[in-house]
Amino acid sequence: MSQHAMQHVEDFRAGHALGLDHRKLGMWMFIASEVMFFGGLIAAYLHYKYRLGFPEAAELNVVLVGINTMVLLTSSYTVVSALAAIRQGRQGRFIAWLLLTILLGVAFLGGQIYEFADLVRQGVTLTSGVFGSSFFTLTGFHGLHVAGGVLWAIVTLVRGLRGTLNAEHSMAVEIFGLYWHFVDIVWIVLFTQIYLIV
Amino acid sequence: MTTASASVSWRRYFWWNTDHKVIGVQYIVTSFLFFILGGALAMLVRSELATPATDLLDGSTFNQVMTNHGTLMIFLWILPVLAGFGNYLIPLMIGARDMAFPRLNALSYWIIPPAGLLMIASFFAGGAEAGWTAYVPLSIGGPPGQTLWALSVMLLGISGIFGAINFLTTVIMMRAPGLTFWRLPLFVWGMIATSLLILTATPVLTSGLIMVALDRVVGTHFFTVTSGGDPVLWQNLFWFYSHPAVYIMILPAMGIISEIFPVFARKPIFGYRMIAMSSMAIAVLGLTVWAHHMFTSGMDPRLRVPYMVSSMVIAVPTGIKIFSWLATIWYGKLRFTTSMLFALGFISMFLIGGLTGIFLAAIPVDLHVHDTYFVVAHLHFVLFGGSVSAVYAGLYYWFPKITGRMLDEKIGRTHFALNFIGTNLAYLPMFIAGLMGMPRRVAAYDPSFTSYNQWATLGALILAFSTMPFLYNTIVSWARGPKAAANPWQAQTLEWRTSSPPPLENFSEIPIVTGGPYDYGEPSAPAAEPAAAPAAG
Amino acid sequence: MRERTLFFSAIVGIVLIGAGFAVATQANLMPPEASTRAVAVDQLFRILLGISTVIFLLVEGALVFAVIRFRRQAGDDRPGPAVHGNTSLEILWTLIPAAIVVVIGLYSFQVLAAIEVPGLGPRVIEVVGRQFSWQFRYPETDLATTELHLPVGQPVVFQISSEDVIHSFWVPAFRAKLDATPGQISELVMTPIEIGRFPIRCAELCGAGHAVMTSEVVVESPEDFAAWLAEQQAMANDPAQIFLTMGCGACHTLASAGTTATIGPPLDEMAAVAATRLPGLTAQDYVVQSILAPDDFIAPGFPPGLMPKTFSQRLTPDQIERLAAFLLDQP
Repeated sequence: MSQHAMQHVEDFRAGHALGLDHRKLGMWMFIASEVMFFGGLIAAYLHYKYRLGFPEAAELNVVLVGINTMVLLTSSYTVVSALAAIRQGRQGRFIAWLLLTILLGVAFLGGQIYEFADLVRQGVTLTSGVFGSSFFTLTGFHGLHVAGGVLWAIVTLVRGLRGTLNAEHSMAVEIFGLYWHFVDIVWIVLFTQIYLIV
Repeated sequence: MTTASASVSWRRYFWWNTDHKVIGVQYIVTSFLFFILGGALAMLVRSELATPATDLLDGSTFNQVMTNHGTLMIFLWILPVLAGFGNYLIPLMIGARDMAFPRLNALSYWIIPPAGLLMIASFFAGGAEAGWTAYVPLSIGGPPGQTLWALSVMLLGISGIFGAINFLTTVIMMRAPGLTFWRLPLFVWGMIATSLLILTATPVLTSGLIMVALDRVVGTHFFTVTSGGDPVLWQNLFWFYSHPAVYIMILPAMGIISEIFPVFARKPIFGYRMIAMSSMAIAVLGLTVWAHHMFTSGMDPRLRVPYMVSSMVIAVPTGIKIFSWLATIWYGKLRFTTSMLFALGFISMFLIGGLTGIFLAAIPVDLHVHDTYFVVAHLHFVLFGGSVSAVYAGLYYWFPKITGRMLDEKIGRTHFALNFIGTNLAYLPMFIAGLMGMPRRVAAYDPSFTSYNQWATLGALILAFSTMPFLYNTIVSWARGPKAAANPWQAQTLEWRTSSPPPLENFSEIPIVTGGPYDYGEPSAPAAEPAAAPAAG
Repeated sequence: MRERTLFFSAIVGIVLIGAGFAVATQANLMPPEASTRAVAVDQLFRILLGISTVIFLLVEGALVFAVIRFRRQAGDDRPGPAVHGNTSLEILWTLIPAAIVVVIGLYSFQVLAAIEVPGLGPRVIEVVGRQFSWQFRYPETDLATTELHLPVGQPVVFQISSEDVIHSFWVPAFRAKLDATPGQISELVMTPIEIGRFPIRCAELCGAGHAVMTSEVVVESPEDFAAWLAEQQAMANDPAQIFLTMGCGACHTLASAGTTATIGPPLDEMAAVAATRLPGLTAQDYVVQSILAPDDFIAPGFPPGLMPKTFSQRLTPDQIERLAAFLLDQP
């Protein structure tokens, strides 16, 4: 890798003057593109919901998934706490909050898998009809994003244990946090449109 | 400081390299190869269409050739070549040493060769034959290659999104001291508007392509009519991206034109802020017009009207640009370099494309000319007469900067003449064929359209020949053309403040900007003060 | 100096408008105006053409003038005047195009509203597109034909749909086009005003046979139309007529029908091979099954999945038996 490719702080002076960090800015833009991606999937789901009525939606388990939603929401709180901890230089607490985030993320995925399995048992599958196709694709991609986030969290955890992250070098945690909150907010929209508004 | 010795320099273009200048060249050369391939497919199409009956290719093969022609030209030629210009020029134009994310930049490029190979492979696996628009249900039931086609387009979209993130972050974060937004070169403004569109629109296409792929491979029912699927949903998802895509293909090109006119008229650009804001306006408006491709789809008839309005309104910022360019050369001291010729050709041919766009926006007329050769003519005037002219203008302009050599101007003028004649001859007759009743995407046509098609095929032949002097010129000049000075055109944007080609770190010292990039004729000092002027050549 | 510029501009203006007017009125770039829609659409088209001509000549003229007049003189290395803009000029060339756009938009909307209003007492005709032929159904008579006949002067409402992929029903002479989308019925209204034969083309890529998915619309006097309708009804059970009406000729060669398409196997040899294709299956049964379930037997050299599988719904069993017998009885 060429020497010049290692970025220096003064290279980003124009943006710093605006109070921006290039890695955070990049993540925000990536999130914007992801919002549009989910927008396309959501548009398909809603289009068909209003066109076909989605009677299969009666099989959805609002209570279970509602609890699962709380789990994911809590994980956003734990991420915020993890970031606060690392910023204060409190390695131990940072590790603990991050571990909790991972556990909550995994629990959410488990809950989703349970809901999916339940629906399949009742005959609603990816290929059973328009509802199945759009429901599983939409929530499936969200689940993939959560899984990706969990892997990212594990990588961050490892870096935290190794000591490469501390109060001065906490941007990686902040950026991970941004991604995690985005995944959470997407879920809130999904949960509302799929489970709450019938 | 000189670059590494010439004997290793060519090798770095074939490997992972995070230098934006290397990546820019990789983009440009790779996409030009696909331009040749797409052009060969076009020649197959025009050869078939030289006679009314299907004699050269059967209907199915013709559809595959036509589909891949369009797909290659859009996703593997124009979009990446413009990204290549952006990659090479943006850091230099803003006085930075590289892009904000150099490794992401290399990744963006390296997605393209495998995606391109996937596209070529799809042709041999039973090629996609549903047009580049891949309407369902036709594309769902199509040959196996259609899935590879969809995968390839998805990958190319992801490459574009990564590029857009890089361009925007770089421009926001890494401008040299004194370089405010209102002093940015207009090419950079064009890339800002383009990147915003790529970021917003491409992911929607990705979501639609995933639905098509799932329907084909897994058996989902997104578009299964008997299960309640709606084929028009695909059209909406597709065009939500593909209309902004045409602005993604023209805004950087217009940016290139804005760079060239001031330099070869020796005059400031006329109406700088209006041109910059027009780029942004076109981008925003461009996100609101997509259903003008769907006027005949059976969509709610009343809903068509807002799309007609927004499509016509786009003519206003476009007109502002054209008039501003005219005013730029008015009273100028015009130098007719090959770059300048292509830029002038751009105006005249893009004008035809743009005016015919208004016909298409008018719903009653569109209901007659939609999906006919009128549209084929319109799109080729804006994309070939427009974007490709601008690409050539940019290549002749920046070739000295990129390679350190000068292109031969006489051969360049021959190239321009052949290109200009060929383009007009190929596409003007198509307008009439469409109006008189010739649909598009047909391998055979009523004999009454024969003369239009024969003129068009002749024009295409001239276009095919026109690339030869260009290729010869490029290859020979790159190898042993006369050495280029740092600023052979006496331009004022920052990339000309460093050697040709630039050193690895772009500038020995980051310049400090004190004025705009087109201040010709100003009594004050030049717009940028480099701490030490680098040696020429 | 100002008077000269004004005078010169006025001359240029008059020439431009004259040219625009000339092109708009003289250009003959459209098929015959065979419907009321066509008249209104062509009027709009001409106005757009006239305005475009003016703009085109203005911009191109300025370009050519500039290229000639402002060419750099040899040895002159001075820059041009340091003009960055002119607010009044920029406002002018923003507002004038905006005004033109508003006028064009309003006029287009007016034309659209006018051409989309169905006429009084319209005749309803169902248009069905399928790979690769058109079928027209006259609901009140239960008649299905491959050629569209219309009585001149009577408003029509086409109810357009598709049996497979998206097609597009287009009659250039009517200036009318609407997609035939599976799963939905789209309505297109028009009134034919000229007697004659006009081509029908498919205007949405629909597969290998897209280019040959053509038909004809015959606009005739009400008396001729009534006669044709009666004749069609009489022939509804005639197998030679069924062959044509069902669009078999779009893909199959049959000498007696005069069709020459090669998308599917030629049918003239049917009698010779039908009995030998599958042992135990009579020639008649073989042909009938080939029509009802086309993918059961694929002739060598042809791909599966092309022939429509809907004939069991569109023809009565009796009609299919007659058709099979007819195909086996070819000279």
